[in-house]
Amino acid sequence: MQLKQPKGKINNLLAVAACSLLNQTGSAQEVPGWYIDSAVLGYSEKDRVDAIEPVVSATRVFEDGRKLNLTFVADSLTGASPNGATISNAPQTFTRPSGLGIYTTEAGDLPLDDTFKDSRTALSAQYDFPLNRLTRLSTGLSYSDEYDYTSVGFNATLARDFNLKNTTLSVGFAFANDTMDPEGGIPVPLASTALPWNQQRQGDEEDKTVLDFLVGVTQVINRQTLMQFNYSYSQQDGYLTEPFKLLSLVDGTTGETSGYVYDSRPDTREKHSLYWKTKYSRDNGDIIDVSYRYLWDDWDIASHTIDGRYRWNVSDKFYVEPHIRYYNQQEAGFFAHSLVAGQALPIDASADYRLGAFNGVTIGSKFGYRLNDRSEINVRVEAYEQQGDTVGNPIGVQNNYDMFPDLEATIIQIGYSYRF
Amino acid sequence: MAIDRQTQLVSQGDCWVGRFSAMASDCEVLMHVNDESLAGKLLNVAATEAWRIEQKYSRYREDSIVSRINSADGESTEVDAETAQLLDFAFQCYELSGGLFDISSGILKQAWPFSSSSTQPSHALIESLLPLIGLEKTQWLAPYLTLPAGMQIDFGGIGKEYAVDRTLGLLSGLSDAPILVNFGGDIVCNKGPSSDSPWRIGIEDAEIQDEAQQLLELTSGALATSGNTKRYLISNGIRYGHVLNPITGWPIEAAPLSITVAEGNCTRAGMLATFAMLQGENAESFLDQQEVKYWVAR
Repeated sequence: MQLKQPKGKINNLLAVAACSLLNQTGSAQEVPGWYIDSAVLGYSEKDRVDAIEPVVSATRVFEDGRKLNLTFVADSLTGASPNGATISNAPQTFTRPSGLGIYTTEAGDLPLDDTFKDSRTALSAQYDFPLNRLTRLSTGLSYSDEYDYTSVGFNATLARDFNLKNTTLSVGFAFANDTMDPEGGIPVPLASTALPWNQQRQGDEEDKTVLDFLVGVTQVINRQTLMQFNYSYSQQDGYLTEPFKLLSLVDGTTGETSGYVYDSRPDTREKHSLYWKTKYSRDNGDIIDVSYRYLWDDWDIASHTIDGRYRWNVSDKFYVEPHIRYYNQQEAGFFAHSLVAGQALPIDASADYRLGAFNGVTIGSKFGYRLNDRSEINVRVEAYEQQGDTVGNPIGVQNNYDMFPDLEATIIQIGYSYRF
Repeated sequence: MAIDRQTQLVSQGDCWVGRFSAMASDCEVLMHVNDESLAGKLLNVAATEAWRIEQKYSRYREDSIVSRINSADGESTEVDAETAQLLDFAFQCYELSGGLFDISSGILKQAWPFSSSSTQPSHALIESLLPLIGLEKTQWLAPYLTLPAGMQIDFGGIGKEYAVDRTLGLLSGLSDAPILVNFGGDIVCNKGPSSDSPWRIGIEDAEIQDEAQQLLELTSGALATSGNTKRYLISNGIRYGHVLNPITGWPIEAAPLSITVAEGNCTRAGMLATFAMLQGENAESFLDQQEVKYWVAR
């Protein structure tokens, strides 16, 4: 413990300390016991993907402040997802990624791969324990498995309190190794789908690693306000391409589709993110929570996320928490809706809308009802709308179509929490 | 130590005054209630709380939590939630004061028994005690506290002010009448006796004992005093005050005789008075920085 002679005004810090002593409830220490949180999330995109995701999380808080959390998630996705090809003025036929069978998209429709079907199970364990009065270490393991994708990860974060626990500094890292073995093998980047099958594919399995570092400060501003700043750096290496995504090759004048090539992305990605969050408790117990994130990477993607929530305690038992989130993304440098046939292929190219330029708005609310001292039931209902921007100039017939159709989704989550 | 478990309730005009002894102090509760039975009930609650805290944190009772901690001989002791809060507060005050406020410094009184001796202790004795002082040598990981063998703690510097605030909290939950709690000069009130009149409180001047030298008015909040003018020793012509520096083992130089601070609650007022006392000749400038109302007697 570093001791300094008291200099300057310490009365405010003393006020917080005395308040915490006299209120007895002022300490944020969690009550020892078991906490079970369970929820089922339903996510439904209009005309596209549907997902159901049950989550069960059990946390044991020990008398000495140690904490163990186990979380189990299972999700299943069905429906259709854009395959990357552009809308065309003629019907389009695609071979399924597995190489088995075909599917057809009508003229004027966005090509969607309707073989999209997957289920995933994920398990994680996090153990959080004090090293001494002011320092905590949190370590975790995670594992997730789906049909053609496996991820294994671990993480550790060290948090140290300063300044009478009014300031907390955190440093952490996370490492994950992902392996994918898609049915039909790994496509050769930018290879034409017209090539013989064995020339389109290059092996069965690829992997990638993700290494994240985080530094953060949480600061108690006053009795009502808490502020948090984080910077994180993420380094991805390996196979970062989306194996099932395509790009259309179109005629440079008419814009008509003449063929398809596979998605290709760089094999490294460096991401940076800055995060700021403020939580303000009003005198009546309501909580205002506002955050902003700026994220940028060396793929030239940059995004802003603004998130706001208001926890309105209608009564002792019932609360309503409206939520609004705005997301804006600038496209990756190699993003293109299509490539011009006959021109030299770029090194990397992708028409995956997730790497495009778009705005997304989520609006919704959570409703919670405390059944008794030990349990709460809650429902979250949200609507998401994504509006894409066309990047570059459409060619020929492309002018007749929306190159980046809007996406609408609804999210409904039902949760139940129990403590014993 | 025998505890006098008597309470006394008298009427003074429109105010009921309850008296009892606790924590080696004369304690009184002033209540502007009409009803004698309510006054009696409030007095009973106040005395019960003061005695509870006195007993729970007494160093002289073998079964107290403090005795259990001090006799653990290097082993860890599991403490209850209230004690954990007090320990948290004590550690925070230790940090805030730069180590000058230290609940493990009581052992120094072995070297400085101001009342019975007029000779200065030997350097050797003080040096032998210093290794047993300093909260940084302990391990506090709620709810487990571990002291190195031989170390001791006591809540003497916090307990009375804490008891005053706790007591007013309990009484305010039972009545919204104007109430003032005074445990040996550590005072807190919830409001003035009526909307336009404050409580009038005298502050003893160190030089003129038992006379209300300065009269001050209190409509809300607390007053606490650090200092006891009766305790000092003169050796080789130097007057040593009673406030000891736990880092050096020697009395704080040029400490005021007494400091009274007004603040929102008694715990805070008492701690500011104690911190200021530990600043010695800088007591006043320290208090000026805290932007509080204070009275210093030198």
